[in-house]
Amino acid sequence: MSERRLQKLIGERDVLDVMVKAFTQSPTADDKLSAGLAEVEIEHHNEIIRCAEEGKPFIFSYFACAPEIYAAMDLPWYSFLSLPFTGALLPTLKDDIDASKRLFGNDLCTILRVSGYYIEEDLVPVPTAMIGLLHPCDGTTVLHQLIASNENWCNVPIFACDPPYWEDERSMNYYAGELKRMVSFLEEHTGRKLDMGRFREVIEESNKQYELWIEYNDLRRAVPCPHGYGLGLQASGVAQSNLVGDPRGTAWFRDLVADAEKLVREKRGKVPNERIRLFWFDVVSLDLSFDLFPWLEEEWGAVVVMDMFGYAPYTMIDTSSEESMFQGLAKRALCDMPMIRQARGVADNFLSDIVRVVKDYKIDCVVWPGHMGHKDGSANIGMMRETCRELGVPFLHIGMDLFDKSYTTIDEIKDKFSQFFTAMGLG
Amino acid sequence: METAIKSKALQEFAEAAETLVNPAVRSWREQGGKVVGYFCSYMPEEVITAAGFLPFRMRATGSTGTELADAYLSSINCSFTRHCFNMGLRGEYDFIDGAVWPSTCDHVRRIYDNWKRKVNTPFVHIMSLPKKTDEPQVEWYRDEMVNLKEALEKHFGVEITDERLWEAIRLHNETRRLQRQLYELRKRGSPPISGAEALAVMVAGTAMPKERYNQLLRGLLDEISPSEGNADYRARLMIMGGILDDPAFIEVIEEQGGLVVTDSLCFGTRIMWKDVDEGASDPLTALAQYYVADRPSCPRMFGDYARRADFVRDMIRDFKVDGIIGERLIFCDQWAVEHYMLAKEFKPEGIPYLELDREYLLGGIGQMRTRIQAFLETIER
Repeated sequence: MSERRLQKLIGERDVLDVMVKAFTQSPTADDKLSAGLAEVEIEHHNEIIRCAEEGKPFIFSYFACAPEIYAAMDLPWYSFLSLPFTGALLPTLKDDIDASKRLFGNDLCTILRVSGYYIEEDLVPVPTAMIGLLHPCDGTTVLHQLIASNENWCNVPIFACDPPYWEDERSMNYYAGELKRMVSFLEEHTGRKLDMGRFREVIEESNKQYELWIEYNDLRRAVPCPHGYGLGLQASGVAQSNLVGDPRGTAWFRDLVADAEKLVREKRGKVPNERIRLFWFDVVSLDLSFDLFPWLEEEWGAVVVMDMFGYAPYTMIDTSSEESMFQGLAKRALCDMPMIRQARGVADNFLSDIVRVVKDYKIDCVVWPGHMGHKDGSANIGMMRETCRELGVPFLHIGMDLFDKSYTTIDEIKDKFSQFFTAMGLG
Repeated sequence: METAIKSKALQEFAEAAETLVNPAVRSWREQGGKVVGYFCSYMPEEVITAAGFLPFRMRATGSTGTELADAYLSSINCSFTRHCFNMGLRGEYDFIDGAVWPSTCDHVRRIYDNWKRKVNTPFVHIMSLPKKTDEPQVEWYRDEMVNLKEALEKHFGVEITDERLWEAIRLHNETRRLQRQLYELRKRGSPPISGAEALAVMVAGTAMPKERYNQLLRGLLDEISPSEGNADYRARLMIMGGILDDPAFIEVIEEQGGLVVTDSLCFGTRIMWKDVDEGASDPLTALAQYYVADRPSCPRMFGDYARRADFVRDMIRDFKVDGIIGERLIFCDQWAVEHYMLAKEFKPEGIPYLELDREYLLGGIGQMRTRIQAFLETIER
């Protein structure tokens, strides 16, 4: 494997290393939790780098493709979706964003566009096999077509599950069938087998994580909210990514719950004077975590009590049979996974989440950032506004790029927030 | 570019393309016929025909603004969806009795959600369209067609029998065969029909009763087949992209001396290059097989890129294409990447490729002319 193909992954690992050092020096327990997670990510990156260097099997997969199966097959996997995300810490990201515009234009989601650029420029390791994702948006589907057609990747075997638009029994049966075909594909192309006993163990462990996630989110209902903007996404990352079905992930959740419970008992919130409880209905991007979210807390006492990735319906999977496990995974992958659950199907899924989150978490305002890549969601703004009106909570639609501040500057975003809070009498 | 042919049929097709409620639709309505609108060419029109209704492909022809839709959609939603929904909100689609959507793209599938809440169309239905073209997906879409059939039967109190489905399939296949005959004429050195006129013929096919349309198209073919058309062009062009229903767009290209001789459009070859299998045992399976797997796909379908590229390659060879114009509605992710891939694919083969981003309503013509002129200068014969 050429050095060129590993340089982004190595760069990301080094960024994570910097994050670990910064989090470890922090006195707060939630930062120490973040440090632990980043350490696991570093370990995971090292494993992929090792596989690439030694020619051992590993796969590429986007998020939300039932990673419980990879864990049960002991199959190392990576996604370069995270590269533009953590790239916020690197000075080269801006250059990558500009270069990606020259290939695909301005209006394709930045994170997908940059991922496509990395493929076209041969900057990521070529895997043994690849699992594609065909939802929740058009951009994801075409990115995978681009990858599959790239001259360096066109010989990589690829499988992608076809997502139904519905959530009924027929849809779950269909998607469970797709997942079984995915397992057959992985077995054929990686030489690994899915052992049903191990599969059950992984799912049972993941069920424990989901139970703890429910408990944690129940604690976030407290006023003041014990934690801020960053941990929802991390919880999702643990339960639905590299620590899925891993006892270390379960331990991470236990520590998270313990810290939140302690803070709730002490009536201590993330922000000493919590004045606005905010539902950020999208990704909490790393880039914004350096300026916008801290500014919201400090300037306005505005806490992100819930965000899109921190919220899930947390389906426990019945492990009594092979069939029930595939059915459960189908439901989890389609109906629980943040962003997939809302954007894959009809708009009612967005609206019902708003209703539940606003009611359950005592939300004062709903913010739809209007990320430039989220076209289907941005076609809901009228419906979301009306839903919020019925609930009696203000709704803010910004219009921005979660990963590129040249689209809407941070000052413009802050100005929008200030005007909104002032006009609505919040804070 | 004007051809010498100005037949009555061509005028009727042009009128159908230029207006929303054309005389054929008006006449259908006056006779008590029902009209069911549909979005996107993956919608099986035959099911609507079999119900005894007129399938009408939704467009925003004649729209002048998006002032009402802008309260519901955002500025990153494509202008087709904003104009179309705006027309729905303005009541300009009150002539339809129902509307059906496949879950095609991020923009169009959300018009369904908004439409069902804000526009008083009596029957609305959305179908889960697969994103792959394999056998399980054909079976899935067949079940979706069963659901559509049952929903139409229940709402309108009609029965859609297998016999009526087969009749509809035969009728629509006849349309496709006639349309392919029209395209055969465009392979000539002096095609008797321009690209703009051909697009009008194709658009009209989605907005008229098929019997009437087929009759007119037969007449047109009889009339123009013996004729010689324009040989005075600078280059033979293929146009490719997403929804393009405005012949005026092609007129701008042809005014510069390019002759559009073929396409890969969902108002063009993609809806008629193949037939539904009339020898299959079950009509809905035949339709599902056609719509999911057999017809030329668009980038909506994953895993079918190689077949799409081969389709374009065949078109280039058979129609002696000198260059490709890839048109795209701004904010369409599917075509953003597909055009990039195809341009890259055909570059080593020496096929020039011009990517034109556009809004649904024709605008920025000066800039477009300049780009087309420059493109033609690089490839002209």
